[in-house]
Amino acid sequence: MSLRAPLARKNMAESKQTPDANTGIPEYEYIDVNTKPFHVGSFRDEWLARLRPEDFSFQQEDEETFEANFAAEMGLGADTMAELKSACSIDSLRCHPEDEQLSMDDVPSNPRLKTLIQRKRKQERASSHNIHKNRHDFYADELERLTIGRPPEMGADRIPKGEVLLTINIYHPAVYEKFNFTRPCMTLLMTGSHTLTELRDAICCISDLQVCGEFSKTPDVAPDFISKDHFKSAFFFFEGVFYNDMRFPECQDISITTVEWAKAHNFPQYSQAKMEDTRFVDLKVKVGFPYLYCHQGECEHIIIITDVRLFHKTDCLDKNLYPLLTHKHRSLTQKCAVCHVFIARWYTTNDQFAPSDPCLFCDQCFRILHYDTEGNKLGQFFAFPYTDRGAFN
Amino acid sequence: MFMNVSLQTSTADDAIFPRQSQCFRPAALLCKSLKRRGCFGRCGGFVGRFRRGVVPVSSSQMDASHKHVKADCEALLARFQQTQSVRFEVFANIWREMKFSQIFRGVVKHEKRAFCHLVLNTAYCYFLPPFSFQIRVGGLYLLYSLYYTQTASPSEQIHLALKDWEEVKKFENNAIDAQHMDAVYILRHLMFCKAFRFTAMPTLLCFQTNKVKERSVLREEFIERASRPQELISSGLLEEMSNVSDLYENMKASVLSQMTTPGDSSFNLIRKDLVSQLSGTVQEFYNWQREKETFDENENSQEDTSQKVCSNRAELLASIKSKAFGEAPETLKSRRHRRVEMNSTTEASAALLNQGYTRILKQSLRKRTRDALLLSGEFPTDFRLKHVRLTQTAGVSVVTRGLAAAEYVETFQRSLRSSIRFRCV
Repeated sequence: MSLRAPLARKNMAESKQTPDANTGIPEYEYIDVNTKPFHVGSFRDEWLARLRPEDFSFQQEDEETFEANFAAEMGLGADTMAELKSACSIDSLRCHPEDEQLSMDDVPSNPRLKTLIQRKRKQERASSHNIHKNRHDFYADELERLTIGRPPEMGADRIPKGEVLLTINIYHPAVYEKFNFTRPCMTLLMTGSHTLTELRDAICCISDLQVCGEFSKTPDVAPDFISKDHFKSAFFFFEGVFYNDMRFPECQDISITTVEWAKAHNFPQYSQAKMEDTRFVDLKVKVGFPYLYCHQGECEHIIIITDVRLFHKTDCLDKNLYPLLTHKHRSLTQKCAVCHVFIARWYTTNDQFAPSDPCLFCDQCFRILHYDTEGNKLGQFFAFPYTDRGAFN
Repeated sequence: MFMNVSLQTSTADDAIFPRQSQCFRPAALLCKSLKRRGCFGRCGGFVGRFRRGVVPVSSSQMDASHKHVKADCEALLARFQQTQSVRFEVFANIWREMKFSQIFRGVVKHEKRAFCHLVLNTAYCYFLPPFSFQIRVGGLYLLYSLYYTQTASPSEQIHLALKDWEEVKKFENNAIDAQHMDAVYILRHLMFCKAFRFTAMPTLLCFQTNKVKERSVLREEFIERASRPQELISSGLLEEMSNVSDLYENMKASVLSQMTTPGDSSFNLIRKDLVSQLSGTVQEFYNWQREKETFDENENSQEDTSQKVCSNRAELLASIKSKAFGEAPETLKSRRHRRVEMNSTTEASAALLNQGYTRILKQSLRKRTRDALLLSGEFPTDFRLKHVRLTQTAGVSVVTRGLAAAEYVETFQRSLRSSIRFRCV
């Protein structure tokens, strides 16, 4: 906390300077769709100013102290307090005898709650119609299940209290039209002190792994030339600001074309900033609003910050595990045309051995079919390394 | 498989020769593509691309159950409201009677967390302002009870939005002032157990613009009666106003007396008895509000009975249908591998079915319609709204769409008399 205090003060000073006093309190712009823009840092400060330190600390208070404090504050006697406690006990909510052990997995017979009636009906329908189970839904929170409630690691790697946690959804570049809804491709949890470059590095996209060129003569060197190492420029676009990645000397400002174009065409002015200097607490964003991540020159992703909140004691508190991946979309993979087992790695054209043109092969089948035992190329064909959409499954 | 590949060629080619270098990309092309996708514009953002909406995982099932969860919560709170109490024991009694803990039973394992979140979020709405204090206390108890009976482990927290915090504090102060110790204790206990997550917004937002949402209808009887006019126009204010008004009147009168001859009362510069008019209007508003409330109550009770009749009938129909289709037909030999299962009817509908056997001999539709029309002297609004067509036996049709009510009844009666078959279109 001591570390954060000067920072918090600085942010408070900043928020006082801005004309809009409510800049830290998110409000709906469109109800249940997205909020108005707010400053993440001052949002955190607004919460911290309202809460007592024990409300957001990760330690659990002692129950007796809590009761003693409560009784003292309200001016209650010991017996009144005991009476109150028994009146408000959770045992009074039990709907079945105490000794009865209930399994929570089945819907009770003869339900009266509408939710249960519907659930029962749904289960009956599912069992009678042999309804296909959706594996996407089944495994959707698989990663979340692993990390949620992970016991906090003690020591220096612990998240400081009063830190903000952002839930960020990343979507595939939505160029296809046939799907009427899209699942998030990834869901990441990030802390407020992360920089945008850390988000950039956490986003995995297959276009980073692509290899350009024809490698039929030298298939072994192909993996050395992935696009990620060649083309390092990228930008995020949040609320009229392009955040460019300028960490490496070969990085270019690829947003400048858009900025200049906008200037020339009387569009609202866009500003630019550096990705590596911007932390999430410095950002001004709308929650629930789609923003842009662009890399490899034209590979675009939609980024939605779905939630910003203070850390809770049940969250994973190990700093080293962040950015934390809580959901990963599993996409279909293209299999090898020969074995139909492994994911395709090579794409060939003008191939006399292939059943189709173009054709996909896994690494093993490709080499067995196209090269002799010494690794010499047989016949005429063009071979390009192929990166499957499901490479990150 | 091969088809897939060949279909993919164009995109795959694109992927393999995407770009030689970054500066190679013509700038105009990027601009064009950005423009095409609607990236420019202040708040237009990428809306165009998102018309189709982005549905988070497993939210579709959750949407379906949201309606029912809401109905259940409202049923519980309505019963709580009837007791006119804010005690937790009373709430717990209703909870036990309704067996509300069962709401978590039978949730599929991977949906548990999402369902708990949904339930808590639904209950959270009743804890916030548009509702009356009693409903908000009920909402708080509901949150507390649901939080401790939930099945997700570790437990799912209640999402508390920053904008709602002031309301929660106000609520707490009100409860302390009124000495509702159980409400205060429960709120403090939830805080102490860290049952709240301090968030920006109560739900995860992912720009679901196209979701067909039934506008969340707030139950009117839960909402606190508007009392701003009464609060604003207090007796102190009225006194103050009458003083100021007197002063103003005197000033005007003095100015007037200087300018014109005294006794000329044709000038009417001030509104007389402003204060009494104002208080009269507020009183009238208050009376109207109360009348409306009692009227609504009466109407509601009437509606309830008629709704009950309707739903009984619907359930009966459903049970008859399920009985008719419930008998599994003998399986064909070629189809033996496919299971045909009886759609077992629930006990409730079975009971209804038994009830339904005591068949009521109903009069013909014509007779009933005529009785209804003649007795009430007024004909159903549905008829008037719809295009009603009387089809005569001879096949000549009379369209009575634009006819006035009285005319219509007359035509109708005449047609009945001459034993004309009628049909509503």
